[in-house]
Amino acid sequence: MSHRGKSLKKKLLSLYGNPFIRFVSRRVGFLIITFVIFLLIIFALPRFIPGNPLATLLYAIREMPPETLQLKQKQLIEQFGLGKPLEVQFYEFIARLFRGDLGTSYSYPGIKVVTMVFTALPWSLGLLIPASLLSWIIGNLLGALAAYKRKTLIDNALLPAFLTLTETPYYWLAMVLLYIFAVTLKIFPTSDAHNFLYFPSLRLTFILDVLWHWTLPFLSILMGAIGGWAIGMRSMVIYELGADYVSYADSLGLPDRKVLLYVFKNSMLPQITGLALNLGTILGGALITEIVFNYPGTGFLIFRALTQLDYPMIQGAFILLILTLLIANFIVDLVYAYVDPRIRTGYIGE
Amino acid sequence: MALLEAKGVKAYYYVRQGQVKAVDDLDLAIERGITLGLAGESGCGKSTLVNTLMMNVKPPLHLVEGTIVLDGKVISNMDRSTLQKNIWGVLVSLVPQSALNALMPTMSIEGFVKDVIRHHMSVPDSQIISMTKKRFEELNLPVEALSMYPHELSGGMKQRAVIAISTLLNPKLLIVDEPTSALDVCCQKQVLRMLIDLRKTGITQSIVFVTHDIAVLKQIADWITIMYAGKIVESAPTDDLLNDSKHPYTFSLINAVVTPEPEVRKRGLTSIPGEPPNLLDPPKGCRFHPRCPKVMDVCRSVEPTLVKIEGNRIVSCHLFPSES
Amino acid sequence: MVPPILKELFKTKKLDISLGIFIGMVIISIFGSALYPNPLAVAGPSYRPPSNAFPLGTDDRGRSLLALLITGIKNSLYIGVTAALISLAIGVTIGVISGFKGGVTDSSLMLITDLILVMPAILIMMLIAAYLKERNPLFVSLVIGITAWPWVARAVRSQIMSLKSREFMYMSKMAGLRDMRIIIEDLLPNMASYIFMAFVLLMSGAMIAEAGLSMIGLGVTKGVTLGSVLYWAQQNDAVRRGLWWWFGPPGICLIALAASLLLISTALDEYFSPRLKGG
Repeated sequence: MSHRGKSLKKKLLSLYGNPFIRFVSRRVGFLIITFVIFLLIIFALPRFIPGNPLATLLYAIREMPPETLQLKQKQLIEQFGLGKPLEVQFYEFIARLFRGDLGTSYSYPGIKVVTMVFTALPWSLGLLIPASLLSWIIGNLLGALAAYKRKTLIDNALLPAFLTLTETPYYWLAMVLLYIFAVTLKIFPTSDAHNFLYFPSLRLTFILDVLWHWTLPFLSILMGAIGGWAIGMRSMVIYELGADYVSYADSLGLPDRKVLLYVFKNSMLPQITGLALNLGTILGGALITEIVFNYPGTGFLIFRALTQLDYPMIQGAFILLILTLLIANFIVDLVYAYVDPRIRTGYIGE
Repeated sequence: MALLEAKGVKAYYYVRQGQVKAVDDLDLAIERGITLGLAGESGCGKSTLVNTLMMNVKPPLHLVEGTIVLDGKVISNMDRSTLQKNIWGVLVSLVPQSALNALMPTMSIEGFVKDVIRHHMSVPDSQIISMTKKRFEELNLPVEALSMYPHELSGGMKQRAVIAISTLLNPKLLIVDEPTSALDVCCQKQVLRMLIDLRKTGITQSIVFVTHDIAVLKQIADWITIMYAGKIVESAPTDDLLNDSKHPYTFSLINAVVTPEPEVRKRGLTSIPGEPPNLLDPPKGCRFHPRCPKVMDVCRSVEPTLVKIEGNRIVSCHLFPSES
Repeated sequence: MVPPILKELFKTKKLDISLGIFIGMVIISIFGSALYPNPLAVAGPSYRPPSNAFPLGTDDRGRSLLALLITGIKNSLYIGVTAALISLAIGVTIGVISGFKGGVTDSSLMLITDLILVMPAILIMMLIAAYLKERNPLFVSLVIGITAWPWVARAVRSQIMSLKSREFMYMSKMAGLRDMRIIIEDLLPNMASYIFMAFVLLMSGAMIAEAGLSMIGLGVTKGVTLGSVLYWAQQNDAVRRGLWWWFGPPGICLIALAASLLLISTALDEYFSPRLKGG
């Protein structure tokens, strides 16, 4: 190997020696595998599931007038590569994916799936990101409070509240909030992301209108997600409060609030991991919540596609959603790797 | 004046089934400039006693009665925040039984040191670090350990680091609870060496060494106090106690220890029959009477009192009745 | 006569209340179903608010919402139990094998587990259910069951691994007992409490998952569950029409069932791990 090659190899090896890099590359590898498996599932499902949905679809539209029928058939065959051998179908599927081509909508012919999904995605993210983060922060704080005030009235009242809240589906909360605040009290709008008469722009009135429509869906997801974090954090803090380092720090005279800070720091780590694990659940709940509000996010998009059996849309939306989710997962993993000193120093485990 | 004087101390745990009388009407004096060994079986109340002595009393443990005077200050009626600011870490420090887990995994040693010292003194960080580095060197601890996290240190080093941290503010009284029980022999030696150094350099005045292992006390203690079921049964200088024990329990305890001496083979080992009593409902009279080889009738109904015998030694046994 | 564990458990008020609520609802659903054998039959005029004849009003097709609710509880419970059993079977089996065998088996099984753990269960369920034309309760339970097991497998695996290092295990291995026998006689009895708690949690989650699937229209195709009633409510714009008697009660019942199960599991957990009690 040339001199430059050797020093490059050395550099790469030393990079790999860094425990942080090792951790990150392991996670990236894992997430990529997950994505690939998911793609396989997406590819296989419509083709292998008993009942052959594609054939069913073809059969279902046989009553249509001949021109539409021709068009629809052509669409289906083209989109899914029906009739070609399986390997070719898969190759085309992957090739199209790399080109960023997720096909065109079956229900709205000519409109690209990517366009529709990317129009809807920001609305969903606008709900998801603030709701996930805020519910995580508030939930953890409330949970720590309940743990600190254990055996007092505060905890005895909070715990059952959390337990009930965590089992309350976001969309049902949405229905209740909608009924009380939009239908009965008429404080908030009853549907959509913004008044259709307003043309989207960055003018203040438009932004305020969007926020006004955003409030109830946001609150539904926020309130629904808090319970789970609170319960988890409460258990963690109760557990940590009995830890040896707590009694030692205490016996050296450190004030209670300092010791609590230590407990909080230690309890946060598993909660960050928890955030990564629960992103999928929150996503799912949020999607269904959109339906209640007719909120034009990916949830509503998928719902419509499912009702109309718009398979290319279903497929495309799912792929993009999973991709977003895996990226979010990765970001959380990075944060965790940065925060936990044990990873920074290469601690493998007891 | 003794460094610590405890009179009539009663410390009970309030549990659902009643009161666990872990420390029951106990008097204790710790003189200045000695290493006191506190020994007894597991569950005899040693750990509760030392926590009570520094007034580290949290429910369900309560100080029911008694006064504790530390360095002339009455600490038994101080509130928690005064104790936190002026007493703990400053006058008296406790190195807990689980010192190996006493350090928070997500903070470096120096981070913790800074927090501890900042709470008691207002000193700039850089000074804190240099003070600590000097102290570590004095006590033969590697200075690099300061910037490390607990999981990067070995067991023996963790134990010594915890002792060092506990004595940073030069507390007059240092209490160590089972410091050597979880370590192998070479680490034990290092810990004992450190404790001796702490006394020699004057960083601490007196040390209370709590253990169930009498053999180690022979190497480090000037004076040994034996506890049984929440009460002190005997207290004497080390050699006197080990060679000429007065209380039957002490005698049995020493005989149960394996030592690499030829007499042991002749003597054989004797274990003490029976089990330590349940402190929820201790036996009437002398608490040791169900297991005592020298039990007499009076032992079953009347509790013995602590009496002074030859030269400051104390025994609590009916074999040594009080002068009356 | 009463085993001491039950006696101790019933001292907790939490357990009493939640158990009471849960069993109460089960009984109502069983007896109620007998009273209303045909909930899907048209019983009266449409869109009626609660009245003496119809305590919970009627839906868009004139069906009694009370009848639908009671049958819905029964079917939701059925799906909950079935899905939980499926997840339990998969999770415990994989967890035991993985924890017991260790090595390559363990690594590969855990990789699969982690893959499914990362993928959002709802999306996978939606995906599978979307392509199934006929969805009976068993199918729906299956779909829910095969996505919910990963956490059970992980938890069981760590329990097994900690049990494996205990002395009684070593004795059995020394005695030359075959692996299967060790698993059945030594490991499983020690895990019984844990497996039971996992079942309760799984059931709680399964009922919520079923409702979620139904809300997007991917629930059972025939029959009625709590989720179906909510779905019909949404399809008929019940919220905006102010028909609170349509979407309110099914939600409350669903929450009551799921939350009481969760409370039961929490009470059991506190009993078995005293550190959480703060002792």
